[in-house]
Amino acid sequence: MTRIDEGLVARCTAVLAGLALCATAHAAQKELVIGVSDALTGPGAVYGLPQSNAVRMAVDDTNAKGGIKVGQDVYKLRLVAYDDKANPTEATNSVRKLIDRDGAQYLLGFCCSGPTSAVASFIGRENVTMLVGNAAERTITAQGIPNLFRTRPPADFTGSAAGAFVAKRGVKTIAVIGSLDVSFYSQYLEAFEREFTRTGGKILAKETFGLKDRDMTPQLTKVRALNPEALLVLGYVEPCAFVYRQAVELGMKMPRYGFTSGSEEQFLKVATSEQMEGVWDLRPTELTVSALGEKANAYVAEYTKRFGTPPSPSSPYAYDQFYVLKHAIEKAGSVDPKKVQDSIRSGGIPPEAIMRYLPVGSAMFDENGQAYTTNGAFQWQKGKWVYVSDLPSDPVAYSKYLRSLRK
Amino acid sequence: MITEALQQVLNGLAIGSVYTLIAVGLTIVFGILGIAHFAHGSAAMSGGYLTFILTERLGLGFFPAMAVALIAGAALGVVLERLAYRPVRDAPQINAFIIALGLTMILEGGNLLLFGPDQVVIPTPYQHVYTVGGLVVAELRIQVMLTASLAVAAMATFVSRTRAGRSIRAVAQNRQAAVLMGVNADAVATMVFALSSALGVIGGALVGALLAIAPGVGEGLVVKGFAVLILGGLGSIPGAIVGGLVLGVSEALAAGFISSAYKDVIAFLVMIGVLLVRPEGLLGKR
Repeated sequence: MTRIDEGLVARCTAVLAGLALCATAHAAQKELVIGVSDALTGPGAVYGLPQSNAVRMAVDDTNAKGGIKVGQDVYKLRLVAYDDKANPTEATNSVRKLIDRDGAQYLLGFCCSGPTSAVASFIGRENVTMLVGNAAERTITAQGIPNLFRTRPPADFTGSAAGAFVAKRGVKTIAVIGSLDVSFYSQYLEAFEREFTRTGGKILAKETFGLKDRDMTPQLTKVRALNPEALLVLGYVEPCAFVYRQAVELGMKMPRYGFTSGSEEQFLKVATSEQMEGVWDLRPTELTVSALGEKANAYVAEYTKRFGTPPSPSSPYAYDQFYVLKHAIEKAGSVDPKKVQDSIRSGGIPPEAIMRYLPVGSAMFDENGQAYTTNGAFQWQKGKWVYVSDLPSDPVAYSKYLRSLRK
Repeated sequence: MITEALQQVLNGLAIGSVYTLIAVGLTIVFGILGIAHFAHGSAAMSGGYLTFILTERLGLGFFPAMAVALIAGAALGVVLERLAYRPVRDAPQINAFIIALGLTMILEGGNLLLFGPDQVVIPTPYQHVYTVGGLVVAELRIQVMLTASLAVAAMATFVSRTRAGRSIRAVAQNRQAAVLMGVNADAVATMVFALSSALGVIGGALVGALLAIAPGVGEGLVVKGFAVLILGGLGSIPGAIVGGLVLGVSEALAAGFISSAYKDVIAFLVMIGVLLVRPEGLLGKR
């Protein structure tokens, strides 16, 4: 009888077990590409770059904790981000590259409405899931595209709340200066006007500026001659900051209301704190610690530590996008975009979310793929945006209205 | 209505005086050396950025910082002329044209690398607002107009009253004859570029204080500068002054009374209208 060396058997068993374990571990370790298309340079970068950074921060944190667990598999995440320069053509190219070359099935970012609308026009035909951030144009979610979801509420959801707020403050006449040829600002104004005029308010003038305009004195001079009780400024941070600054330079002392979602740092690049004093920003209740609490505080601290600059107020839309996706994948137990979409549609608000969302029923997103945050009135006081109050908003009614627009 | 129109004119004069500075810099290079110096706007922005660094980071006052930037700008002009344009001076004009385009890209890229992609505003202490007869004018805008006027006047005095200026005028009138009369044409070319860039730097610093400096602003300014060059008359310094102010005021009136969206279109329509009546420009020679 052949004698078996028990020590040898034990060693071989150990080696085989080790190899099997390695093989199993290797098979389970997979990679998931997260694509980001956003404005990383140009005028839209004030919104897009912080969004891209926020996604990077969430991806890094998730990878540091081991990745996303899907059934027996663990997915490490690889972030691929392209600059769409807030340009529809560039955004289309970026997204095509992400889908066709990088194999991304999950697309995040999208700060600006023009490029987002361009991508939305074809994304329904792709086997991917698209999560839109700061882009606020209404039609993006009015079409009912099944694989598109948006964390930011549409501009007119906020505009009507803002109109009621300004009217309630006793303003009877107002002049508007803004990027009125950009549809989501005109939609904000349309809703603002509806509420503002309901109580007898009147809009005296609607003056336009371009995205790259810096000299606003011609429009301000014209408006000043009409002697309005207040000014409403709608647009990207930089041109709006020029309006606020030059209004002071022209000696205009009326209350200034706006819709910009810019951070203190972004405004202070153009205007001084004294020139900004008293300005109101009527917008979704975005990143302000006093409005959003300690979770926002931790987010701001972590972001500032990583990128050397504080985040923009709207950047958590993208941060929240990522955690919506992460929880949806985990809940679906699959990375199949269709299953993940079903999971997003029925899912609640992720615990990591920074913004204060108003659920529609029990879900974070309504049947249009739209999420809603509370709206708030913020005022510039001594160098900071201070959260003053909520603006009453009804997401259920708006959701029905949005659904009614679908053809 | 009249007050509003006058206010728009006043607004336009401030930005028009910056256009004038840029255009005068371009016109002396084009009128004397025949070079379409497209990189002028980017060089002006480099000076604006330098002024920003000197005021914001080193704490210099606005005008001392601008003076330092002006010297650096003049030196940059000398370098550009010696290294980029002089080697192709006797080559076909297309060579200088291509070099000018290349320099624009190099300077824009350099600005981006050195100063970053952020928009910057040069801080100034001029915060007062004056109201006279219903017209409102910010102290900063007065400073901009005064500085631009002084710079152009100093340049005009230099060209008309000094020996070096006489050399410049001689080369502008007839380069070969000037050389035969003993004028050093190389030195004149260097001097012209130094002057042009120095004026550009003042323009860049004023834009930075009045509005802001950012990547791409220089390119926009140089387009306006060339428009003024044509409007005022090629090579004409008085033409550049008048043309710059006309363009600035046209833009302000168009934005105020029609729409900001069409202000560039309307300003260029004014230019085309003027050229239809006077193809040689407002003050160009027939």
